[in-house]
Amino acid sequence: MTLAFIGHAESTGALRDVYDRMLARPLPPVYRPKHGGAPGIITAHSLDPELIPKVFGTSSTLNGAGPLAWHERELVNALTSRLNQCFY
Amino acid sequence: MVHGAIAELGVHARDARQRALIELTVAVTVAPWTLSRAFRARANADGLTDDDLLHAIALSAYFGHLNRIADAVGVPLDYPVEIAAPHADPSRSPFEAAPEQLAADGALALDRRPTTRDALAAWQIYLAGKPGPLAPDERRAIAHRVARLAGDGTAEPTDALDADIRALVDLVALAPWRLDDVAYRPLRARGFDDVKLFDVCIAASTAGVTARIAVASRALAR
Repeated sequence: MTLAFIGHAESTGALRDVYDRMLARPLPPVYRPKHGGAPGIITAHSLDPELIPKVFGTSSTLNGAGPLAWHERELVNALTSRLNQCFY
Repeated sequence: MVHGAIAELGVHARDARQRALIELTVAVTVAPWTLSRAFRARANADGLTDDDLLHAIALSAYFGHLNRIADAVGVPLDYPVEIAAPHADPSRSPFEAAPEQLAADGALALDRRPTTRDALAAWQIYLAGKPGPLAPDERRAIAHRVARLAGDGTAEPTDALDADIRALVDLVALAPWRLDDVAYRPLRARGFDDVKLFDVCIAASTAGVTARIAVASRALAR
């Protein structure tokens, strides 16, 4: 950890509400972490709770929609991460 | 540059459509200004429609944001992996800053994808109107700096940005794998807390999403 972040279990108030709303969204089970809380990539945005629905609202328009097929979207996302050397 | 990156990755496409998708993703991530009308025609012939191209551009640009914020915060892995993740190589060279600036004319516009366009606009409007901890002017200067690095000729050239902020912004934009405590040290020494450092990172990362989409879609149309 290089910047502070607040996980789901430790969250309170507006941040807790946002995490709960994020978890209530329809999501393929494969993307749900086994710990049952908000995924780490959402908690990475915890220092700005109001930003979270903006960022992940954009995700819904791209990762939950076509025209690219699911496996093609995963290819784009995985390859982008590899190039950015992001191994989260 | 793009073909070099593909060779280095050692990825092999199973067909022409997938190869075009890989080339596009590499270009959007590494050098969006290298795309061209000729690439677009070839990708169309290989089965990727303009709507497919725009979807991939926006996806890759958006995922670049998630990558940057995951690295900026250093969030630990919280899901099981079947293959151990490799480690980032901090010595790898930063991405290149755009050697040219692309004007807005003739873009393959995001208007073809209104839900994404509107979601991105809501995100940007939120950041532009956020009262602190960065001043709105600072956030705007950061956005323009990042846009210029990606080749977005509609952004104003900015020399006014504080040198320590600019150094962090450039890392977010061009070498996010180098974001660590050392990268934050100069601004922390000046009293920036984590909320303010996050504000710098988010302003830079968000600008990278919109600039990559703009530059890639313009480059495909010229």
